[in-house]
Amino acid sequence: MADGFRDSRFGIRDSGFSIRAGAAGFLAALPCIALAAVSAWWSAGGLVGRGLWPPDEVTLAEAIATRNNAEALRLIAIGADPNQPSRVRGGLLSEGYDVVVTPVEAAVGAQRADSLRMLLAHGAVIDERELRILRCYERVRRDSGVREILDIRATGEPSTTLGPGPDCSGVRLPSDRAD
Amino acid sequence: MQGRPPSVDRLKPAVLALLLAALITLPLADSVFQVPIQVSDSLEAIVIGAKYPSSWSLLADSAQFSSTTFRPMRYQQARWLVQGAAATGLTYNSVFRGVHVALMVMLVLLFLVAIRVRSWIDVAAFAVAFPVLVGIHTFAAMLQEAFPVNHFAEVGVCALAVFVLAQQPPRWFFPPLMCLLLAFALSVIESGAMVWVVAICCAAAGMRGMTRSSVVAATVVLGVYLLVRNALDISSPGIGGHGSGFGGTFYSPEELTRRFGAHPLGFIAYNVAGGLASLLFSEPRQGVYSLASAWKTGGPHPVLTINLVASIATTALIVWYGVTHLRVGRAAWSDTDRMFAVACAVMVVNAALNAAYIKDEIISVGGLFYAVASFIAVRGLLETIPQRRRVASALIALFLMTDAGLWTFRAAGVHYVLRYDAFKTRNDWIEVLRPDKREDWPTDPQELAITRRIRDEVILRSVASPSFMPRWADRYWVE
Repeated sequence: MADGFRDSRFGIRDSGFSIRAGAAGFLAALPCIALAAVSAWWSAGGLVGRGLWPPDEVTLAEAIATRNNAEALRLIAIGADPNQPSRVRGGLLSEGYDVVVTPVEAAVGAQRADSLRMLLAHGAVIDERELRILRCYERVRRDSGVREILDIRATGEPSTTLGPGPDCSGVRLPSDRAD
Repeated sequence: MQGRPPSVDRLKPAVLALLLAALITLPLADSVFQVPIQVSDSLEAIVIGAKYPSSWSLLADSAQFSSTTFRPMRYQQARWLVQGAAATGLTYNSVFRGVHVALMVMLVLLFLVAIRVRSWIDVAAFAVAFPVLVGIHTFAAMLQEAFPVNHFAEVGVCALAVFVLAQQPPRWFFPPLMCLLLAFALSVIESGAMVWVVAICCAAAGMRGMTRSSVVAATVVLGVYLLVRNALDISSPGIGGHGSGFGGTFYSPEELTRRFGAHPLGFIAYNVAGGLASLLFSEPRQGVYSLASAWKTGGPHPVLTINLVASIATTALIVWYGVTHLRVGRAAWSDTDRMFAVACAVMVVNAALNAAYIKDEIISVGGLFYAVASFIAVRGLLETIPQRRRVASALIALFLMTDAGLWTFRAAGVHYVLRYDAFKTRNDWIEVLRPDKREDWPTDPQELAITRRIRDEVILRSVASPSFMPRWADRYWVE
């Protein structure tokens, strides 16, 4: 102790740094140490592709349902069929259960006119039967942008008033198609 | 320990601080790297930079690209990085985002060098101040956007470098080096003037490395810069040049002109005070006081409470240190006190740069110095513990741990903010080169090739979707 050095319970040894100061300093440093430890875990996980929030593996319909047009475009670029139905996990288009829908149905369900437009520009096809389903689905998941696109395809012009709309009797909506 | 040189004893705390910083910075670097090149603010600069026949013609023309900004190095850097990508065979994304990561790492390293961790008490103070550095909203602002290189991060690096130089004994090369840093900072963005502000503050506080010749040289550089701007007829953006908040509402440039254009003084005072308040209390953000509208939404958002409490606690600590250490007069200040005085002065002057509008990025240099001031204040408080009673010591420990915990939570949230940003930025590229809007495509083949290449690179790199991240995170990390 001749020159003011002192040992604390934490093994801290420094000039004029008392045991109490050491304990206080250690407590103050704890959150940062915890973040450093968690960060190390994230970094290690990152090396094997399991770091902090890595990109999820999604289907094309799921990418659309999560408003991830860029991922949808990537999947199309690597060969995904924009007309092929695929699974969308529960909580995205339906509460608590998975559904199997086409990408355009996912776009209507997610109320995304931009996604619908993008799919149509990249090879998605809507036949008469599908158009009816989509228009009925839009009546449940209302979106003016989506409605405009669908109405133009059905009638050649956008609807300006809330008219009678399509006949939805006997139509099974995509959100009812549990996987 | 006897017989061991003191420098060896100092090394251990410094190594531990470096280790903590490295562990936290590494995944942060990954999060920054995952944010793709932006469409807005970046694509145009990259295309212009790449298309010019020579660097000289680009440098000459870029001086007159805008009537309110003078940023010749903005385009020059973009050109060099495009050329760098071509020379190395790396993707544009790797090169541009790699530079952003490098800037962040430099900020962290310069912060470490500036605060000089030498003892275990320093390590404890560092462990509180480092999350302040990373967690303050102005730091995230330096990581989120790029133009295509984040100029505010570049200014931050230059400002911290000058601050570090000012702590050293004077050397012959300091004045030219500081002038170089200032000239570079001024050539990328107007906020580069903060490098001159740091130099002046260091001189005023009596820091030994900041000699009269350094101050004179830096002032000459600033004077020349202002003369060039004047000669080129470049004005500063006034009220209405940018959207900004007032009270609880954000106004567009046109609305601001209508409301405050005729009598701008009150709004300028509001902005300057707001800039300082934003640094000290994390409110307002972009001029908007979220607290003002909290009563309409049934109470403040958790993120607002966390940011406010963390900032108030740290600011109180900074005020305590200032009151107890700076009142003795400049002649009696220690080196640490001088550093602290500089940090506080830089924050105040930086706030003044918000005169026309408030933006997190504009006060980013102030945010770096806020972390420096917090380090000094925390260390100062810890040093008083041996003289205090047990209960007081326990309360101080509890206070510091709580404050550090809140800042650490904010720092962890930067990952979420960056992931969110990466998702949004990547999806912005969907609107570029739309197959159903070919009439909007660039007609120049080189411009089209560059745009297509960046777009393809961005689209092919998957990023996390917020839909699969924790739902609670929005309320706790996003304002």
